[in-house]
Amino acid sequence: MNHIMDRRIRAAVTTEAETFVPTELQEIEINLLLEGLYQMYGYDFRGYVRASLSRRILNRMKAERLPSITALLEKVLHDRAFLERLLNDLSIRMTEMFRDPSFFAAFRSQVVPLLRELPEIRIWHAGCATGEEAYSMAIVMLEEGLADKTTIYATDMNEKALSAAKNGAFPLKKMQQYTKNYLNAGGSKAFSEYYTTDHQYAYFHPVMDERLIFAQHNLVTDSSFNEFHVILCRNVLIYFDNDLQKKVHSLIHDSLADGGLIGLGSKESILFMPKGVQYEEFNPQERIYRRGQSSTALPR
Amino acid sequence: MILISLGLSLLVVNDRMPDMQKEMDYVSNHEIELHDLANQIQKNVLDMETGMRGFALTGNEEYLEPYNNGSRSWLDNYNKLHSMLAGNVGQQHTLEEIKPLISSWIKNTGEYVIEQKKANNQAALNQHFAENKGKRVTDQIRTQFNTFLTAEKKLTAERMDRINRNNANFKITLYTIIFLISAMTLAVAVIMANSIVRTIRQVVNTIRSITDEKVDLSTRIEVKSQDETKELASAVNGLLSSLDKQSWVQKSLTEISTIYQGITDVTVLTQTFITKLAPMLEAAYGVVYLRRSHEGRIDFVPAASYAVADQEPASASFRLGEGLVGQCALDQRVFLIDKLPEDHIKVTTGLGMSSPRNLLIAPIVVEGRVEAVVEFAALQPFRSQHLTLLDTLQEKFGSAITSVQGRMEVERLLTESQVLTEELQAQSEELQAQSEELQMQQEQLRISNDYLEEQNQSAEKRAIELKKAKDELEDYSLKLQLSSQYKTDFLANMSHELRTPLNSILILSQMLVENNADMEMSEVEEYASVVYTAGGDLLRLIDDILDLSKIEAGKIEILTDEVNLTEIPQTMKNLFDPIAAQKNLTFEVLTEPDVPSVISTDGQRLQQILKNLLSNAFKFTERGSVTVQIGLAKPEHIQELPGLDGVEPVISISVIDTGIGIPFDKQEIIFDAFQQVDGTTNRQYGGTGLGLSICREFTHLLGGAIVVHSEPNKGSTFTIYIPSRQEESDHQPVDYSAFKEVASSLMVEQGSAAEEAAAPAPELTETVSSDDQLFRGKKVLLVDDDARNVFALVTALEKKGVTVQIAENGKRAIEVLQNQDDVDMVFMDIMMPVMGGYEAMEAIRYDLKLVNLPIIALTAKAMKGERNKCMEAGASDYIMKPLNINQLYSLMRVWLTEQVNPD
Repeated sequence: MNHIMDRRIRAAVTTEAETFVPTELQEIEINLLLEGLYQMYGYDFRGYVRASLSRRILNRMKAERLPSITALLEKVLHDRAFLERLLNDLSIRMTEMFRDPSFFAAFRSQVVPLLRELPEIRIWHAGCATGEEAYSMAIVMLEEGLADKTTIYATDMNEKALSAAKNGAFPLKKMQQYTKNYLNAGGSKAFSEYYTTDHQYAYFHPVMDERLIFAQHNLVTDSSFNEFHVILCRNVLIYFDNDLQKKVHSLIHDSLADGGLIGLGSKESILFMPKGVQYEEFNPQERIYRRGQSSTALPR
Repeated sequence: MILISLGLSLLVVNDRMPDMQKEMDYVSNHEIELHDLANQIQKNVLDMETGMRGFALTGNEEYLEPYNNGSRSWLDNYNKLHSMLAGNVGQQHTLEEIKPLISSWIKNTGEYVIEQKKANNQAALNQHFAENKGKRVTDQIRTQFNTFLTAEKKLTAERMDRINRNNANFKITLYTIIFLISAMTLAVAVIMANSIVRTIRQVVNTIRSITDEKVDLSTRIEVKSQDETKELASAVNGLLSSLDKQSWVQKSLTEISTIYQGITDVTVLTQTFITKLAPMLEAAYGVVYLRRSHEGRIDFVPAASYAVADQEPASASFRLGEGLVGQCALDQRVFLIDKLPEDHIKVTTGLGMSSPRNLLIAPIVVEGRVEAVVEFAALQPFRSQHLTLLDTLQEKFGSAITSVQGRMEVERLLTESQVLTEELQAQSEELQAQSEELQMQQEQLRISNDYLEEQNQSAEKRAIELKKAKDELEDYSLKLQLSSQYKTDFLANMSHELRTPLNSILILSQMLVENNADMEMSEVEEYASVVYTAGGDLLRLIDDILDLSKIEAGKIEILTDEVNLTEIPQTMKNLFDPIAAQKNLTFEVLTEPDVPSVISTDGQRLQQILKNLLSNAFKFTERGSVTVQIGLAKPEHIQELPGLDGVEPVISISVIDTGIGIPFDKQEIIFDAFQQVDGTTNRQYGGTGLGLSICREFTHLLGGAIVVHSEPNKGSTFTIYIPSRQEESDHQPVDYSAFKEVASSLMVEQGSAAEEAAAPAPELTETVSSDDQLFRGKKVLLVDDDARNVFALVTALEKKGVTVQIAENGKRAIEVLQNQDDVDMVFMDIMMPVMGGYEAMEAIRYDLKLVNLPIIALTAKAMKGERNKCMEAGASDYIMKPLNINQLYSLMRVWLTEQVNPD
């Protein structure tokens, strides 16, 4: 039986992952589902990249043994607990500490000197998922001696991810990779100084204390809530379609101080920005860009 | 019945016959005796009369004999007769009237006559006979007797009459009885015939109705008779109830079989099953135990129950062979138990509780394997069809269970696979999204290509300009790098020198704090002495560093004074003679004659310089001599040295030893802080490495210079040139503000490290079991040459159950790793003799090809360069001395935990 199952899984994976195209009817149903989600709960996935969204929705449908996406919609409208599950599916993201170590190395060597001049530093992690990057940033700021004047706001729409982030507990079985990343990112101390462990998790909680704030924020539906000197929004926008990307870019741009910096994921760029969004290249290799400045909020 | 009636009548007849006979006998006997007695009495009277008369006539006594006989026996006869007439008062009365007559005759006639005769009173006799009194009495007696006899005859006749009547009655009775019996017999015959016919007809009807398939198997033939027809009826009833049972079993079977359909969950299945089956078996209580095999152990756990209250023990599970349920599963046989004790289980209703007395435990066997066990308890005994039903059911139910379980397993696997798929997709999601994004960008890129091309050209121009600027910057940064090199090296070295002794002090003192209860005194002493030595080393080092930093910060004041040179030899002798004696060296202080006895300089500093030089000389000299030469500097020497213009008199003091010497290429660097001849890492001689730096700085302060001449293995000569000058030196101290910054930050770090070391002490004592799993039995290779460190670390690691293998240098470590492949982790010190940490790590990674072995570098230097060197050499992670034990444990947890595949 097992080998039959294996074959089935393999078949499922290959067909769904590579050649899945929703039928016209399914397209309509997905539209209705997303519309329903938005109108009922205010979660707006309408501007997400359709291909990956469809796959996730169909997976959830199959996992719940529902006959159609319309049945899924019905369930989501009447069952709050199911909504949580679906939301988790739709907003699931991969993240790790000091992801792309060269980015953090560049941040240290190039961005930090600018920040050092400021009396107060505000950093926003838009779409922080389970918080690994926010803690990484906290460590960088601590090592650079800027922790006292830095506030890091880490936001995500996924409540489950946020509560994990607040715990600051990351599984030991990923810690060796994180240590490697940390060292490659130019960490100046022994990584072990930042965590305590038990037999399962490494706890980073006390790294920044109250200066690391986790809050729920939906990039799609919520608006700007402060002005920041640095905004990190890495590997978030790839899930959004063009229009939504533009919208979020406007939001980010509006939330950046003059001369403020934005860090994107290694495969994201600032090409084709909406009107009024103007960035200069700061370190294009590491996808760090700078908001055009009229005054001098950040030194050149 | 007829026989009984006949018997009864016979009994009646039998009873009556002797009665009648007796009556007849009585009548005849009675009459005869009565007459006999009456006649006897009459005869007696007659005899007496005759005898009396005979005597009276003859006087012969012989005639008196009949008289006497008569008078003797008449009363007896009378009494006899009287008693015979007991039932007849009238006759008795008549008889009683006769008695006084006879008595009076005997008295008045018989006796009187006889007396008179005897007295020969013939007259009286005659008179008496004349009167004839006696004759009248006898006549009267005769009359009376006649009356009596007549009455008696009449009585007899009456009796006979009655007997005759009785006979007639008897006859009538007899006829009546015969008639009644005949009638009864006839009636019984009719009834019996009827009942037989009816039973047979009923049997026939019932059988016909069965064959007609209008089956009502619950009907039974009612039998009132006691004969063969009853047997027939009960045989048919037996047939019916067996048919009934069979049909009940069949019906129940069908009913239960239908419930399996469409059930996909085994719990629902068992619940439905027992809910349906329990009422059929009239059970008041029922449980289904399902087979669960877990880690090779087979358990039967309750899956569903019927009428089981929560607190009842039905929730327990049974191993194979455990309890009756387990035994039933093991033996694959049914257990039927009646007369359960009252407290076995209770059936609870709203009104109260009752105790079922019958228990049925049966296995559900499919293909020789027990899939489940059912248990029922009932208030009434279980019937045979119940057992038949269970027996018939087990195959179907069993296979239903296996098929549902199979389906559930398939579903579980399917769900699992879906979850797996989902996870896989989540991971590939980003890649896909990214590639989609890239594709989109590519298209858009093409559009904007032209625009970019334009920009490109202007950019090129700017690039050239930029290149120029960049070159300039690079030059500048190179210079900066060089200038900071000394600072960096100094800090690095100092940090190492400070941390090494501190490390052992902190670890050992932490252990003393935590562990004094179960420590032995000798251990405590050992710890304390290590701490003490390390503390002393630290103190010396700090003194030296303070001196040095004071000099460089320009904080040392030079107090120029008159110094009496002639006093110096004695002072030195006093200080170093004991060491010379101890090391068996010749120690001389020679003063040239042309030396002025007094010069103007800072005497204290001069002494310090000499002390430093001399202790160095003694340290590096194993045999031969150490000589101090004090003289005036030669002019040609003075000219070679900067800062000495030859105006004032310049004193030269040389310290000459026959020690290991200094190679020419090292003769410059030995004056740098923390440097010794044999390199930065592999040191065999102790000391801070600051002595010569201090000497150099002091001589500079005194306006002089220091020179070294040396040949390896022959000896060294350090010569200081000190001018005699009145005014204060215009020495310009180097700007060490950067150094101070770093130094202060180091202090902070150390402070916090010490705090950390002190605070989380309790954590050490409570070891989580899984934490224990993580550490226990792991093997760590500790590579360190410092006995104090090794001692402290081994103590800390063994506490966690870690096996520690020790290697005193890199070379030994490599040997250990070549021979043992079970090392889980390596702690690698950096500064070691023979082979240092960097070299060892490189060898482990590249020569031994142990790419994944976690190597943790133990470094005393918080410097970035040090860190990078560690990483380049192949360290997985590093930790700084002094070690914080909890940080060490944390780090070990990370590196002992198996990792998920990072990519």
